[in-house]
Amino acid sequence: MNDVLLEVDSVTKSFGDIVALSGVSAEFRAGEVVGLVGGNGAGKTTLLRLLCGLYRPTSGSAKGFIEGQSVDIYKMRDVVGVVPEATGLYARLTAWENIQYHSRLNGIPDEVAWTRTERFAKLLDFDSDLHRPTRGFSRGMRQKTALLRALSHGPKILLLDEPTGGLDVTSARMVRSLVRRLGDEGGTVIYSTHNLAEAQQVCDRIVIIHNGTVRADGAPEDLMTETNCENLEEAYVAFTGDVARTNSPVEDEGRIARAWRRLLTKRGGSSE
Amino acid sequence: MVLLSDKKRHLSRVIIVAKKELVDFVRDWRTVLAMILVPLLIFPAIFIALPLFLQGEAAELSAYELSVEVQGELPEDLSAHLDGRGLVITLSELTVNGTLSEPGPDADRLNSEEGVHAILRLRQVDSNASQSWYYAILSDSTDELSLEAKTRTLDAVLTWESDVINATLAENNLTREEAFDPIHWDGDQGAADVASGGDLAAMSLAMFIPLVVAMWTTTAAIQPSIDLTAGERERGTMEALLCTPTSRADLLFGKWLAVAIVACVSVLGQMVGLLFAVNFLTGGGLEAPSISTTGILLLLLSVILFAIFVVAIELAVAVRAHSVREAGSILGPMVLIFIGPTLFAQFVNLQGIELWWFVLPIFNITLAMREALMGIYDPVHIFMWVSTSLIYAIGAIWWASRQFNREDLVESLS
Repeated sequence: MNDVLLEVDSVTKSFGDIVALSGVSAEFRAGEVVGLVGGNGAGKTTLLRLLCGLYRPTSGSAKGFIEGQSVDIYKMRDVVGVVPEATGLYARLTAWENIQYHSRLNGIPDEVAWTRTERFAKLLDFDSDLHRPTRGFSRGMRQKTALLRALSHGPKILLLDEPTGGLDVTSARMVRSLVRRLGDEGGTVIYSTHNLAEAQQVCDRIVIIHNGTVRADGAPEDLMTETNCENLEEAYVAFTGDVARTNSPVEDEGRIARAWRRLLTKRGGSSE
Repeated sequence: MVLLSDKKRHLSRVIIVAKKELVDFVRDWRTVLAMILVPLLIFPAIFIALPLFLQGEAAELSAYELSVEVQGELPEDLSAHLDGRGLVITLSELTVNGTLSEPGPDADRLNSEEGVHAILRLRQVDSNASQSWYYAILSDSTDELSLEAKTRTLDAVLTWESDVINATLAENNLTREEAFDPIHWDGDQGAADVASGGDLAAMSLAMFIPLVVAMWTTTAAIQPSIDLTAGERERGTMEALLCTPTSRADLLFGKWLAVAIVACVSVLGQMVGLLFAVNFLTGGGLEAPSISTTGILLLLLSVILFAIFVVAIELAVAVRAHSVREAGSILGPMVLIFIGPTLFAQFVNLQGIELWWFVLPIFNITLAMREALMGIYDPVHIFMWVSTSLIYAIGAIWWASRQFNREDLVESLS
């Protein structure tokens, strides 16, 4: 069995009264492409943010492993590349400057980062756009830039939050193909998606998250066998039979703002 | 050795962040305009361009030939004074029996297309003096030409009045000085001031510099503070940035450094503009202010401590905001919190000043700048303002770093 690189154990994460994750346990091993599958507000992004140390668990533990030694998950950032859902590019910088900024913050010399970027950019058919300002980039171009940025420091683990969301067919195929290739080359990719067909095509293992809990964890074939279903979609429905919650983790709006809103809402005669 | 390389790594990351933010600023022409060009040109625009423009407008008005009707008997002396002022004088009888200022039917004539810009009413009265007159000038204050006609006529009347006074005094064997200025200064008042030109220049700067520093540091830091915090959250760039191995403290210091540099360049630009404008107005005769090296160093120290304090507070407030709009609506009025005390502190007497003034935030820095510019170096004052300003600056940075460690910072606001 491959080495465990990331592990969450009985993790609960709450935002005020809202429980985004409840008792979640999972392991992520070297060389695996793992799909985090779930609906909107299921807790996929929260789990990814816990895995890259942006969130601290309310209870339970999130750990990383370097050469078999358990370390604080925050220390895994040197070996983790992240593509958030919002991509997060600076519009006045070129694609390469965006990548270069992050690789410098990762302590990677420009020449090394450029060599890696150029290699992956060719795979994504993006090498001719590297010196263009990202202002005006299409969703696909932004996603490719963010992916190259995450790969520029040669991470052991890649965390992707809905990387094909909003992409056209060709771009989505390129991203999937790159992810699969990284997995085949021994890289670890944790990949959140709504798209079951895509997860089945790309991932070695699927973790189904629903209402903040892990409902299933295994290879796509195993999940279908376990539920006696012919396809993954039916298996997903079998695992997530209950109604999805409608509340998702929202940012605390602040005490004064909340009190003011409540005051106005009451005056308006409508309930919250 | 490990510690040293660790420090070097942190410093290098702070510089990487600051450099990137500065490149981002410079590429936005609106920021360059607002942060560099506007501060540089605002004082020359107010002190040079505006007066030049007003002079041009006044010259344009003075070129007009204006029509003034004189009602009543026009004395020859006054007629001579009205000549050469670009006025076309027409004479008519004075039909008003009451107060001369009451326009009566003449109000309509001034407002009509008849072409009369002003009406001078004159009535001689019995008096012991050689001459005594009542007069009134009817004009329309909303009409620029009518107002100009009134100004020219009034000027002629007042010159005539002065001549009449002089004539009356002469009849009684008196000079104007004996009658109106029996106790007068001998010589040039300015010559009696023992302060050097450099001292006077330093005192003048002490009136401007603290205000300019306070106003422009606070206002110049607002937009970049918001852009680098709430703006990054709104654009979704903050999450990706926080995923790098760079500590939040390094990110905060990098952003702080960039904002502080922009604010300082902005303040410097405004000071250069101010000095240029003042020098221009004094015909290039502005003497170099007499400020010692100690004074310059204390001035720089006070500006730096103030900038650290202000930028850290503005960054912290902007981080707390839930949107760019919210950050702007909080930071805009907050400028008054910084400018109010600065304005107030300008009027505090430095002679015999109480020590506690140098403990109060913002007041202490303003007073420190004034003392440095005026060449007052009191060790107790310096100790008080340096130590308290350091405490406030450290406190502001600590608060900003606490805000920057908030977990919800990763949430994209868009």
